Order: sequence, then structure tokens, then C-alpha cells
Amino acid sequence: MAKSDDCVHILQGLLVFGNVVIGMCGIALAAECIYFVSNPHGVYPLLKATENNDIYAAAWIGIFVGFALFALAILGIVGVIKSSRTLLLVYIILMLITFAFEMASCITAATHRDFLTRNVFLKQMLEGYQESEPANEVTKTWDELMLQNHCCGVLGPSDWQEYTSAFRLTHNDADYPWPRKCCVLDAQGVPVNLDGCKLGVPGYYNSNGCYDAISGPVNKHAWGVAWFGFAILCWTFCVLLGTMFYWSGIEY
Amino acid sequence: RPGAAPGVRSLSPWLLTAVELRYAPVLARRSPEDPQLGGLTTASTFVLEQPRCVFEGFNNTDIWLVVALDGATSAFNITARPGTAETAFQGFPDKVPAYMTLNATLANYPCPKPEGEIAVLRVGSETSCRQDAARPSCNGPLPVPGPYRVKFLALQGSEPVAMTDWSVPITLRTAKPISSIPTTGSEHSAGMIALTTILSILFAILLAGLMAMLVFWGSDSCGGSSTFSKPESVMVQRYNTHHVYDQPAARL
Repeated sequence: MAKSDDCVHILQGLLVFGNVVIGMCGIALAAECIYFVSNPHGVYPLLKATENNDIYAAAWIGIFVGFALFALAILGIVGVIKSSRTLLLVYIILMLITFAFEMASCITAATHRDFLTRNVFLKQMLEGYQESEPANEVTKTWDELMLQNHCCGVLGPSDWQEYTSAFRLTHNDADYPWPRKCCVLDAQGVPVNLDGCKLGVPGYYNSNGCYDAISGPVNKHAWGVAWFGFAILCWTFCVLLGTMFYWSGIEY
Repeated sequence: RPGAAPGVRSLSPWLLTAVELRYAPVLARRSPEDPQLGGLTTASTFVLEQPRCVFEGFNNTDIWLVVALDGATSAFNITARPGTAETAFQGFPDKVPAYMTLNATLANYPCPKPEGEIAVLRVGSETSCRQDAARPSCNGPLPVPGPYRVKFLALQGSEPVAMTDWSVPITLRTAKPISSIPTTGSEHSAGMIALTTILSILFAILLAGLMAMLVFWGSDSCGGSSTFSKPESVMVQRYNTHHVYDQPAARL
């Protein structure tokens, strides 16, 4: 029947279109996750030091899921055009597995974004930051963060005054109310006015906190992985339902 | 004795007539529009305004700063001489009720104070002589959070000629332990809950669809098998041979 043929062709066309979109989104997801993982100015060492870098685990899963979606989309297109039950069954099962992984990645990214509050970074900085040689990962990351963003501490230099810290154990309060990196430095890395910095004169020390500089990338990352992945999964859901319907109607 | 200076009264009951100036030392403050000094009080230092235009007329005097704990102000005898064991910083606060430090002359406190200049005294900034008994007038870091009271004393030779009032009590900062930072109790955001719920529902529907597919794999029920035909299947046209003049039979 012509009508049935038309329905078939329309459904095939929709499924092919759906799979094309899935393939492109898969590539985009993989690219985005690769960017997050390899971003040199990111806050990965800080997250690693919190021992809760599941946001990065979510990004790694996103890379593989993205490529898998691309490959499966091609398989789906071939299966739909050839109306092969076997191919489409393989496609559906593999897609469901990929769906499950991507679901895990999205939920992980969203959950752990909620976990990374100011206090987590504050605690980690106070426990890990030591200006002694050799510098550990946390110290190096914080130094770079404070130099690049002209900020100090998580909430401000008063973090070092309000709480005890590993830094305070090795540097006395009178000479180092806050680390030297919080001072405004000249081109050689020497404080412009050390006394002004110790006094806390605005202009000779950085009085704002670094939390905004941290939470920006983390938020972008979590939103990118979690919500883009969610959108892809919703679209994939529709395509899979259509494919299942198509599969059940194929002659064999 | 410059009795004509305003705001001055003589302490006649004392044998040594030291002039008591109506001025109390205060913590440094910038103009009301400017932000405070970040290091106004730290765990072991604090910053005072310089006594500009206070000791006018008292030339040839040494102006000392006397620092005492709040409850010990009455134990300070103005006949005490600086640079001796009874006013040595190193014995403060156990053996010495009040120590004298920050020696200066009137030339260090020119009057009037130029506009825009920060004229401060940082009490507690010298860490090198903290244990050095040979430097009793060391401006060492304060050992306890206080509260402290300070006053300025002008000595001519070794005789007191003028002094200010005691300041209001100055309390230093106390650092809280790192363990007091709360890191638990971060709520799950609404977005994360919505994302998890929706994805779980979608995944469950897909699994149900897959189950339905597999259950009905082999069966021809639901009229599915003949709904869509494979492209390579032969299209059989049935001809109604009995009625050659009738319309040709419809295509399949």
C-alpha cells in the first residue's frame, strides 16, 4: 500500500535524521569533554586533591560515550536503511548500554558539582597550602591561581587569619599574616611594598577571594557535561523508541 | 612646662609632674570612605594611629609606647624606665606587667599630618628580637590574644614629662581550628534531582521497550510482521484473471 510505504519511508527518514543528530552530538560531547579534561588553566589539581574528582571521571566517560554515540549512529543509519532486524537489535542494545553510561556521567557531574562548595576548597587550601620547598600540588595550583587572578584565599586573605592552617605552622603570623603570593608583585615576583602588604593596605595586597575564579570553570564544566548529556539522552530516547517501533514492524 | 597647650592638665598628686594629655591611642583608621586595613588586627599584631599633633611642644623627649594587658594597667608605674628588665618585652606578660617599645621622637610624628598619608604604628612587627634579652625594647609579636591597652609616654632623659590616656581594650584575632569548617550538609540542588529522576524514568521506559521487543521476537502477533516490507522483497501483483476488463488488482 502506498500509504504504508510512505509511512515506512517517513519513519525511515526520521530515524536516519535522528541518528545523524545523535552522531553529531556525540562528536560534540566528546570534543567538549576532551577540552575540559585537557584544559591547562583548569582547576583539575585542586579537584584531584579533594579526592573527589568525580567530575573529571564524568568527563572521561563523556569522551567515550561521545565516540560510541557517533559509531552507533552510523550503525543505526545502516540498519534502518537495510531494515535489518539483527543490526537494529544490536544497535538498540548497544545504545541502551551507552545510555546507561551517559546517564551515570550526567548524574555524577551534577551531584559532585553540588558537593564542591566554598568550604570544601577552604578546608583543602588550609590543610594543603604550604609555602615550603618542595611545593606540593595544592600549593602550586593555588600559587598559580592567585597569581593569575590577583586574588587571595578562597574568601579573602582573612582566611589565613580566621583559621589555623598548615601555612601558619611554618610561617609566623607577624611576618606572614597571609602568604606572599597575596601581595601585589612586580615583574620579578617581589612584593611591591612588603610592609603595605603586611598591613593590608588596599593596592598592595589582593583583598578579594579566589572562589569566583574557581567556581566559574567548575560550573561551566558541570553544566556542560551534565546538561548537554541530558539533552542528548532525551533525543536518544525518542530515536530509540522510534527504532524499537520500526524494528517490531520489519518483516523477517 | 607648656601649660598653655589645650586639653592638658597636670597630675599634681604625683611627685613627678607628668602632664596627662587628653588623647587615647586608637587603632589605625583610614578615611570613612576607604576600606579598612586588612591587617588592622591579626593574631599577634595590631596597628595604631601615630600620635600626630599630640605631643606638641614636648621637644627633646623620647616618646615610648607602653603595652599592657587589660587588667594590668594599674600595675604600670610611670617611673619605670625603658630598656630595663622590668619593662622588657621578653618578660611580658608573666614577669613584666607592661613593656615599653617603639621609641620615637617628635620629629617622627610631624604635625599636621599630610593628607592621604598612612601614619601608623604596627605593634608586634619585629620577630627577630623576640627571644633576645639584649633588646628589651623589642617590638615583638604579642603572645596572647589580649585584650591589650596601650598608652604613649614621653620621657625626657629618664623622667616622664607627658603621657596619654590608656586606650580602649584591643583584642586580637583568634584562629579557629580547621575542623570547625562545616563541609557536610550540602543540599542536592533541584536541578540534580530533576535530572536524575527524568533520566531514570526514560531509561526504565527503554528497558521495558526492549523487553517487549525480545518477548515478541518470534511471534507474528500485533500484526507487525506484515506492516513494513523489506525493500528487496518481491512485489507480487495479483491479477484477477476472471475479470480481465476489471481494474487490475491493486498492488500489494
